[in-house]
Amino acid sequence: MTQTLRDPREVIREEPLMHRPIFEALASGPATIVEIAERIGHPVHETVYWVMGMRRYGHLIESAEADDDGFFSYKIVGQGEAEAPLEECEYE
Amino acid sequence: MDYDVLVIGSGIGGMESSIKLADMGYHVLLVEKEASVGGRMILLSKVFPTLDCASCISGPKMSSTINHPNITTMAYSQVEGISRNTDGGFHASIRQKSKFVDWAACTGCDACQKACTVAVPDQFNADLAARRAAYIAFPQAVPKKAVLQREGTSPCVGACPAGIKAHGYVSLVRSGKYEEAFQLVLDATPLVGTLGRACYAPCEADCTRAKLEGPVPIRLIKRFAADKHYEASGQSDGRAVEVEEPNGHKIAIVGSGPAGLTAAWQLARKGYQVKILEKRSKPGGYLRHAIPTYRLPHEVVDADIANLTSLGVEIECGVSVADPQALKDDGYDAVILATGTQVATRMDVPGEDAEGSVNGLDFLADVANGAAPDLRGKRVVVVGGGNVAMDAARVSLRLGATEARVAYRRTRAEMPAHHVESKDAEAEGAVFELLVAPTEVVTAGGRVTGLKLQKMRLGEPDASGRRSPEPIPGSEYVLDCDLVISTIGMSPDSAPFAPLADKRGRVAVDPKTLQTSVPFLFAAGDVTAGATDITRAIGSGRRAAHMVDRWITGQPLDGFTALDDRLETISTDTVLSRQTAFGHRHPISGDVSLVHNPRDFSEIEAPLTEDQARSGAGSCLDCGVCSECQECVKACPAFAIRMDARDELRDVTVGAVVVATGHKLFAADLKPEYGFGKFPNVITGMQMDRLLAPTRPFNTVLRPGDGKVPDRIAYISCTGSRDKTVGNPLCSKFCCMYSIKQNQLIMGALPLADVSMHYMDMRASGKRYEEFYTQAKDMGAQYIKGRVSKITEQENGDLLVRYEDIENGGGVVETSYDLVVLAVGIQPNRDVERLFDEAPLGLDEYYYVAEPSAELSPGQTTIPGVFVAGTASGAKDIVDTILHSGAAVAQVAAHLEHQHFTEEVTV
Repeated sequence: MTQTLRDPREVIREEPLMHRPIFEALASGPATIVEIAERIGHPVHETVYWVMGMRRYGHLIESAEADDDGFFSYKIVGQGEAEAPLEECEYE
Repeated sequence: MDYDVLVIGSGIGGMESSIKLADMGYHVLLVEKEASVGGRMILLSKVFPTLDCASCISGPKMSSTINHPNITTMAYSQVEGISRNTDGGFHASIRQKSKFVDWAACTGCDACQKACTVAVPDQFNADLAARRAAYIAFPQAVPKKAVLQREGTSPCVGACPAGIKAHGYVSLVRSGKYEEAFQLVLDATPLVGTLGRACYAPCEADCTRAKLEGPVPIRLIKRFAADKHYEASGQSDGRAVEVEEPNGHKIAIVGSGPAGLTAAWQLARKGYQVKILEKRSKPGGYLRHAIPTYRLPHEVVDADIANLTSLGVEIECGVSVADPQALKDDGYDAVILATGTQVATRMDVPGEDAEGSVNGLDFLADVANGAAPDLRGKRVVVVGGGNVAMDAARVSLRLGATEARVAYRRTRAEMPAHHVESKDAEAEGAVFELLVAPTEVVTAGGRVTGLKLQKMRLGEPDASGRRSPEPIPGSEYVLDCDLVISTIGMSPDSAPFAPLADKRGRVAVDPKTLQTSVPFLFAAGDVTAGATDITRAIGSGRRAAHMVDRWITGQPLDGFTALDDRLETISTDTVLSRQTAFGHRHPISGDVSLVHNPRDFSEIEAPLTEDQARSGAGSCLDCGVCSECQECVKACPAFAIRMDARDELRDVTVGAVVVATGHKLFAADLKPEYGFGKFPNVITGMQMDRLLAPTRPFNTVLRPGDGKVPDRIAYISCTGSRDKTVGNPLCSKFCCMYSIKQNQLIMGALPLADVSMHYMDMRASGKRYEEFYTQAKDMGAQYIKGRVSKITEQENGDLLVRYEDIENGGGVVETSYDLVVLAVGIQPNRDVERLFDEAPLGLDEYYYVAEPSAELSPGQTTIPGVFVAGTASGAKDIVDTILHSGAAVAQVAAHLEHQHFTEEVTV
């Protein structure tokens, strides 16, 4: 996995560009970030930035629980059932 | 005295100081550089040792700060300088940074950030995720208001004489918003497709990406948006743009080139009834009658002009206007002259009027209007070195000429033609005869047989800065040819408007207002400036329309913000300094099909594919950060966006100053053996606090390398503190405790996770801190004494940590973890060094604000009347920061009361 990491600013700047390929990657259903990265042909750690940016601004939503390997799946908002994101202070 | 106290910084130290002083009755001015008060504490998950929610403690303090009647808060502001007054008080200059949002109107709804097309690292999430250029600092921000991050005008926008928002439409295409991109250009001019083909793209020349591997293909991206629009709509549909109700005023525009068409467009959108009067049989000026169709097809010009006519603009062709007053008498409220440069400059050599000798403007117009001469088998010489010369030579070849020579009196370097035009002309077979000037058109039987040329050499520079050509005596020779095309210059036809013309034959106008000496008469484009280019003509047309509207509505002739009030263009050095490195991107440029001796007029440049357009747009560096794409303007339900806002400077006098500027965090990549910035699953303690916070950037604690929930998490303490190798021998005091806090929170959030901490010494020396440490151990956290020497990354992103295990035999051990958290220390915030203009604020040997008598008078600094609160003077946890702030507040009160007492005694 060792590689030279691109400057986060450069990766994040590409998020708007990556929306379409990520939407296409999720068109057939939810996928983990590792699976999304494989489908769009980009490094996984860069895909994390893009998926989390899309999640933050209401494009994607995660599955209720992680799978046995510890990975959540992400899907396009409005695709299938809606699931509430964790926003509240759950420690209260 | 405007305020009793100026408090700089609104972290917990600044807020505590402000509230306490305000409770005592002092009037406090609190200045915060970010868009929200709260500092770093509000971003934490919880606080130790109570595990109280940081937001739950900070939130009320933030609210009290903002709403306290004795506190005036200036958020998103910076103190630029402080100097002492003669009365013992201080004078402070404060810059209120422009937010570009009217906070009185903003409801904090977040529509702007959802619409924004620019993504940047979110400093409030420790760069773990993206925010937008339009943003609300964080969900609990106080005040909860948006700002637009505009760091200047992007160079592409700054370079455009038409004032077109290139960065904006590039970022819209990057986001897949093609129609919005088209509409953004349409906001400036109806000539979107034209500019996408025939503009010389000064934006690309100034593009910061050009300093790397090549510019963003800005012009072709515009063409892509235009083609998409016209394909989708079948034909132009300018009615999509905003148009005001008819206002009853009529405007006549003379000339239908880019200046006239643009002026008409802008005025029609403002509700004016506009009529264009064009001398030729079809509208478009040089767009149709000079630029060859292989560069700019007539269908594109027609589609662009249809934008205008769809708004009701009337274009009457075949009409010459010689008397603007007659138009006024006919009921037009104002007239704009935009007749361009129609008169070709004569060579003034014998034989110039012979059959077979023409000027380039007439030649190109004939070709455009279906009256092209048959040049099959003919030899052509074009005189001149400008763009018209290149067009004439290339058109000649397409008409069958066996030879097209371009005779120019200087060298290639001085040639005024755009370098792409001259290069392409040469590629198609034009031959350059350089350093030659015509002396005679040679004729036989009244027909051209050749052109006599004199060889030249370059002398001293002339007024234009170019070296003047000087004839070489006795060097004349004749170039045999059948057609001579003169393209040595052009000028306005000022004959109809002679009283208005300057000595160069141009219509004289005020350059800012474009108003002539006749109040109702304005002029725009080349008729006022001489031959320029399309973008300048468009900019001039926009200006004329704006000024005509101002004149008719009785307003001062100013306020043309599109060109006259842009933010300062950001420097490429500033843009490039934002990143440590840039990945290489293969530059995307136009695919131009050039063949030797072309024989048809089909368009030579291919459009970008959708992938090319988006990839090209994706190489944009977002120089100004905000792209001015206007999506937030459209999205804001409160109409709160103010793109014309500007910084404001405010001067205040205060009795005392509290410096509460906090600290910086150690840059973890300065410990390369830990791999931060190299291995994505090595993060900092602040990043983990964000992952644990309720407003976290991810859906839970995930490792940034692949989004996996981590099972085995290691902490490394003393990263960048107690470490002389990085220049910081000091203990940061709270790293051990925040690590223990996080250990407990992780075990709560991820019950199956194993947490280990590699430490040198455990510093748990506050009230209930030791118990807190014990509690973490009881929960299952492991504490391993010994220094970590190296971290290596494994194929699956796991991290192999090599460390000394002192308490278990002292051997060197390697353990694999999913995630490593570096407990980074703190560093002084050296921004304080810039605060004081005269006597600098004293710093200690580690560059924290010095407290000369810290034991007896905590909070006092080297400047009487200036006090320090919190970590600006050294490492403190939150509890100690609040205590220290209380001490500083007491010192401030004592100082102010002493001043009052002294004044009373003096009186």
